[in-house]
Amino acid sequence: METQIAKTAAATPRFQEFWRVFRSNYMGLVGLIMLIIVIFVAIFAPVLSPYDPSSTLNVTTADIYNPPSAAHWLGTDDAGQDVLTNFIFGARVSLTIGFFAAFISLIIGGVFGIIAGFYGGRTEELLMRFTDIMLVIPDLPLMMVVIALTKPSIFNIILVIGLLYWTTTARMVRSQTLAVKSRKFVLRARAIGSGKGHIIRRHILPLVLPILVVQAVLVVSSAVLAESTLSFLGLGDPTALSWGQMLNYAFGRGAMSTGAWWALVVPGFGIVWVVLGLTLLGQGLEQILNPRLDTHHLMPGRPIVTSEAAKVIEKVSGKRPLLEVQNLSINYVNNGKPPARAVENISFTLKEGELIGLVGESGCGKTTLMLALLRLLPSAGQIVNGQVFFNGRDLTALSEEELNTVRWKEVSIVFQGAMNALNPVRTVGDQIAEAIIKHIPGFPRDKRLQERVIELLELVGIAADHKDHFPHQYSGGMRQRAMIAMALACNPQVIIADEPTTALDVMIQAQILELLDSLRKKLGLAIIFVTHDLGVVAEMCDRVLVMYGGVTAEYADVDTIYNEARHPYTQELLKAFPDLTKPKKKLSSIPGYPPRLDALPAGCRFAPRCPLAVDRCHKEQPLLHKLGAAHFASCHLLEASK
Amino acid sequence: MTKEHFLEVQGLKKYFDAGRPGLFSRDVRYVHAVDGVDLQLRHSEVIALVGESGCGKSTLALLLMGLEDPTAGIVSFEGRDITHLNDNERKDLRRKIQMVFQDPYESLNPTQTIEEIINEPLVVHGIGNNKNERDERVKKALEDAGLKPAEIYLNRYPHELSGGQRQRVVIAAALVLEPEILLADEPVSMLDVSIRAEIINLLAELRITRQIAVIFITHDLGSVGFFADRVAVMYLGRIVEIGTMLEVLEKPQHPYTKALISVIPVPNPRLRRERIILQGETPNPIDMPQGCRFHPRCPVVMATCKVSDPPFVALSKTHQAACLLLVK
Repeated sequence: METQIAKTAAATPRFQEFWRVFRSNYMGLVGLIMLIIVIFVAIFAPVLSPYDPSSTLNVTTADIYNPPSAAHWLGTDDAGQDVLTNFIFGARVSLTIGFFAAFISLIIGGVFGIIAGFYGGRTEELLMRFTDIMLVIPDLPLMMVVIALTKPSIFNIILVIGLLYWTTTARMVRSQTLAVKSRKFVLRARAIGSGKGHIIRRHILPLVLPILVVQAVLVVSSAVLAESTLSFLGLGDPTALSWGQMLNYAFGRGAMSTGAWWALVVPGFGIVWVVLGLTLLGQGLEQILNPRLDTHHLMPGRPIVTSEAAKVIEKVSGKRPLLEVQNLSINYVNNGKPPARAVENISFTLKEGELIGLVGESGCGKTTLMLALLRLLPSAGQIVNGQVFFNGRDLTALSEEELNTVRWKEVSIVFQGAMNALNPVRTVGDQIAEAIIKHIPGFPRDKRLQERVIELLELVGIAADHKDHFPHQYSGGMRQRAMIAMALACNPQVIIADEPTTALDVMIQAQILELLDSLRKKLGLAIIFVTHDLGVVAEMCDRVLVMYGGVTAEYADVDTIYNEARHPYTQELLKAFPDLTKPKKKLSSIPGYPPRLDALPAGCRFAPRCPLAVDRCHKEQPLLHKLGAAHFASCHLLEASK
Repeated sequence: MTKEHFLEVQGLKKYFDAGRPGLFSRDVRYVHAVDGVDLQLRHSEVIALVGESGCGKSTLALLLMGLEDPTAGIVSFEGRDITHLNDNERKDLRRKIQMVFQDPYESLNPTQTIEEIINEPLVVHGIGNNKNERDERVKKALEDAGLKPAEIYLNRYPHELSGGQRQRVVIAAALVLEPEILLADEPVSMLDVSIRAEIINLLAELRITRQIAVIFITHDLGSVGFFADRVAVMYLGRIVEIGTMLEVLEKPQHPYTKALISVIPVPNPRLRRERIILQGETPNPIDMPQGCRFHPRCPVVMATCKVSDPPFVALSKTHQAACLLLVK
């Protein structure tokens, strides 16, 4: 997608990039600040606390459970000590235990998870069963028994918490390791000859680390909680006054009955503060670091239309025009930077039963253009100019509700790679039925629904007995057929097929093309076929629109495009195509790469790669020249021949 | 070492355990991914291995790389059996045989810079005495793979490059070890048409400048004509036709090859031809069809095809096909 190109454009170092994203994540930022405050307090405890925590010499009974006052801002506790001082020093104990215990549990969990995930087989079986057993043993009673049997010292508490809290880490790390291990770059590392240690160190660990960081934050908070619980139950280190220990003393020595709420609330507040801060930080980090949560929202934003009228560039003759796109321009807004001009001034007409091919390289804006037709652009995408007329109605001016009567019912889309978007746990027939009901709410939910599903399946060449099969029982080609069946659910007049054959084998590709062609003849469908492959569309298109860098390079009927192309890009693209009738010839290729939409050249967008480019091409953007009744191309060199 | 025995594959088979059909069933079923392949590769020769997905061509590549162990058969390199090697011998062999994978978006570690990626094989194999020497090799590999000047790519991450550039990085990481054989598994199928030509031309150049033998695996017969010496067509785990590029493209004998050639898109509407579109897809390789494995989809099937497995018929010194129609 074009937005990704824009997003990754700046080559900043990783940490800076991370910080830039993290800064806008308020949850994580608040958590981080909360945590930094506590750590600051713990480190500078001797400076910050008003009293010396070890001075208990001059305590009298009058000093016990004094309410907050000027001398003792947060009152005094059961031993007549300043609660604020104890609170500040308690942060040291709680955090020390929390961090060290978490460190131990992360090491154990990380090592177990990586070894189990990477080696698999018996090793994995053994380690994960052991993890399962540890997971079902109730932590708290076990900790109590272990601490009660050993001396309750800080060291022992750290060890016990550390040795018991690694199970979730191990499981998460294992599943991440499994996911990373199955990726192709690990296979490539093996093909290079890398040993197991090297692969773990250089390929697995860097991708497991983000999960480990998130997990670390959460484990610290559980460890702080666990320590507080143990101390509260009287199993804490009696020589180190943690927040849990403060609660324990206050609770056990009559703070409740004397109404000394401050002795309970203050340490409680500390625990809540740390746990909340860590949880927020963990959530924030997870949103950024966990790739599985990275969602791409399709937000139907209201278009911003700036220009009033647009000129029609094409005289339509013969059949009735169904879809007319006029001077459509789309920008992607890009925080702080100038917007990326993803699509500029595209016009084309689609008539009833016609098949138009939209050809261009990845990143040339063709998917953006298709999404914009039904206003399905991501929120950053904005229609800044132009109109889309469908049956005479301007789709850019309709309300969301009005547009919903067109989406899917009149114009439906078969998305790129959509065949992998089928729900794996429901039968294909079910999912088609759902698509029908979703778009036609009044459809009778009885035998007629099932008949309609079968009818649709047969229309796309799937036998009725495959209706109750699950997607994994379908091959790639059949899944693509099922997606086409869904797109046909409401008898649309137009189908937009976005790279429907790209990931398929040549034979299956030929089958799908044959299917689309037959549907067009049988149902009178108009089809927009989006592809990067000029060869594919030659077989069946009526007209072809060649896009380059977001603009129309050339637009003409199919015969003209393939035999009398005028734009250098079209010509080069045709030359780059392997021609079976002339094997052994060196393939000609177009040097260079398509432009980034956030760094477009000043002049013609193809100029940097064009073999015929002259000075002017690098300075001035060419206009779309009319070369024939329905032949347009944008190139300075064609000006004379107009 | 004779020229003929550079890389030789004999009766290679790979069956994957597909589990039992039922809970109480005794017999374990197998996926016959590669089911008896014979192939010889000569020095600096380019062989195209063509077939639909599920025909076993990728498994064959993994077997040749030693990334999977064969169920039966022998792969020998320079006269030596390389199917049963210990880790050290295998590692040494990796320097001679390298692989380029299909998906350049997946086959690069996103956390490594381009320099780290290309330097990695050198570190793994302990090549180069000092950093300067390794740097030189990294730069040379990058420039040989068409990323010039190398300096501007060294500190970038894979996500900053386009698909074509990434595939060049993958090729550079294979070249840096100076291999004698390059296995390219669908190296262009994920790329745009305009970029495909560049990558194919690059591979064709490498074979001339570095005398590298290439096994080019693809589902698209259309892209092989430009640099392959020989073409082998695979169907359901076996080679069904093999011959020189011109023999296979201009005089295909097996009905499957004919169909594959007929569906290659021709970028000219005036040359629309009769296409032989095979219905259905490659059957699953668990329950192999009896007789000729192609007969359920074959447009010219005869009664005998359902019973007898066709032998290889020699059509010329270099051209062979396995079809009963060719048996006289």
